[in-house]
Amino acid sequence: MLSIRDLHAQIGVRKILKGVNLEVKPGEVHAIMGPNGSGKSTLASVLVGRAGYEVTKGYAHYLGDDLLALEPEERARRGVFLAFQYPVEIPGVNNAYLLKAALNAVRKQRGLPELDAFEFLALIKDKMKLMQMDESFLSRGVNEGFSGGEKKRNEILQMAVLEPRLALLDETDSGLDIDALRVVASGVNSLRSPERAIVMVTHYQRLLDYIEPDFVHVLSDGRILRTGDKSLALELEKRGYDWVKQEASAA
Amino acid sequence: MSAMAPSPATAHYREAFERLQPQLGGSASRRAAAMQRFAELGFPGAREEAWKYTSLRRLESRRFVPAAPTTSSVDVPVAFVAQRLVLANGSPVGTVPAALGGFTLGTLTTASEDQLLRPVLGGGTERFAALNAALSTGPLLLSTATGQRSEDVLQLTLITTGAGPTLASPRVAVRMAAGSRARLLIDHVDDGAHEHFTNAVLDIELGAGAHLTLYRLQRQGERAFHIERIETRVGENATFIMRDSQLGAALARLDTNVGLDGRAAATELTGVFLADGARHLDSHIHVGHHAIETTSFQDYRGIAANKGRGVFNGKAIVHEGAQKSNARQVNRNLLLTRGAEIDTKPDLEIYADDVQCSHGTTTGQLDPNALFYLRSRGLSEPEARSALTRAFAGAVLARVDEPALAKYVHDELDRRLVRLLEVAA
Repeated sequence: MLSIRDLHAQIGVRKILKGVNLEVKPGEVHAIMGPNGSGKSTLASVLVGRAGYEVTKGYAHYLGDDLLALEPEERARRGVFLAFQYPVEIPGVNNAYLLKAALNAVRKQRGLPELDAFEFLALIKDKMKLMQMDESFLSRGVNEGFSGGEKKRNEILQMAVLEPRLALLDETDSGLDIDALRVVASGVNSLRSPERAIVMVTHYQRLLDYIEPDFVHVLSDGRILRTGDKSLALELEKRGYDWVKQEASAA
Repeated sequence: MSAMAPSPATAHYREAFERLQPQLGGSASRRAAAMQRFAELGFPGAREEAWKYTSLRRLESRRFVPAAPTTSSVDVPVAFVAQRLVLANGSPVGTVPAALGGFTLGTLTTASEDQLLRPVLGGGTERFAALNAALSTGPLLLSTATGQRSEDVLQLTLITTGAGPTLASPRVAVRMAAGSRARLLIDHVDDGAHEHFTNAVLDIELGAGAHLTLYRLQRQGERAFHIERIETRVGENATFIMRDSQLGAALARLDTNVGLDGRAAATELTGVFLADGARHLDSHIHVGHHAIETTSFQDYRGIAANKGRGVFNGKAIVHEGAQKSNARQVNRNLLLTRGAEIDTKPDLEIYADDVQCSHGTTTGQLDPNALFYLRSRGLSEPEARSALTRAFAGAVLARVDEPALAKYVHDELDRRLVRLLEVAA
């Protein structure tokens, strides 16, 4: 589904990704862990097409297409979704408008008819229940005045509505208390399916107690140094990241 | 100083006035004095501060024919509200009812000329107010009785129309007695057939405790010239609210002058303008705090795109003795495309020491993070830009509490934003 080879990316002259290789198949859940500044968020940003990053080498193919050649909205319509680490507040653009416009853009791409207001509301109410969100939220501005936890829940709600093929989660656990983390995790888990891949970027192992990954990768200094199963995450939790770096440089 | 020779344009309007004069009602000497005042002041020169960013050279070069009084009907857009009167080139179309939409109506045959054609003095548009007083064909008086309260909205559709380039001089006087309450919607349109010139005056006086909400929509065609003066005197505990949508014309200038004359008089002036295409839209506000405990709030949002140009000058003067007054101004501007320009000047002058005043001005572009967020959810760039632009204007439009008008303005912004953003993308 997602095939990343030798990906190099920089911001200005600062090289951040220095040859990332990653293979993600449908149904898999991957966790990319790493210390601060290792390039985790850059990887997520490059995959969804945020401006300011220059890809200097390598590629990322998604369902056989050159993902990096597509406009951000084109990636979204084809089923790539990023749950942002810091969702932006957009006063005056309400959540209902965004969800409906986004959903209809995705449906159009899939050859499905647009939903009318009633169908949309019916669908959205179910998903909001799942995320334990109040209906008043629909008429509020996108993320406007939301707490950190509400913003993260909103990201997962959007994901649940849009049903992406490839879901990227950027530090979704940061800033969440344990209750909010449970809600967010159950939202993500409800989306696990044989057709869908999930890639989580996270600093801490905590999220992985709730969303069990099939693969854990350690990203450090712009490269994936080690790949394992979820036991690797537990080891990182115990021993930190330094030993991975040391073993990698010794190899 | 010796009198300067009148400019060709000034001479043109004087000659036209003399030809038209027999058909105009009211006292001939009053009309002539107004014409004389216009001739003295003439068209503004390039160095006049009030016209620093708006050149009238194009307007001055044209020879519009002042409209004669008429009662013939014309096609106008559908009304937003149930109670509406149409003025074609300033003349009421059909019989003017005695009362409509919460007001008592008067004309030159039934109402005082002192009220209908009272001179409007000062400011950059005094000359045009004088020209209007000379040429105004069917000045209309809207009045309320003491304590008369209405939640109705009276719509006046002011259309400029003619077989050639026409000068229309609509004039409306509003006199609200103590404790009365009313809502007025003024909709400026034209027939789009020629380059017309609309020179409008709205002269408002609010008695003690009176409350007027004025909705203004200027949606004239792309070739129109529009100059307007809104002169408002606000009495003790009275409130003047204006919701302005300046969307049309090739060149439009609106001067809104509000005198907070009585203790605790208040005004709230909010508006949005969209200077797209090659439109030049200029809004000047002048609020004078003359009494204690007076309050003013201005919130104007401007959008400019393509070769559009916006000018905003919001002035509040807190005069000596106007203690415990509160003056707030907000002006936010959005430049949607390269080549657009907005010149803004918030201006506070304070001559009292116990007051609260603030002003804030911003001019910028759409937030790139918000834009990216929306695109990352599948919205096209034009959709995302349009949504953010509507949100920008929406903060002010939310105050337009006349639903049909609010819907029209929202839809019109949508339509024009999507079109211009798709072209730009």
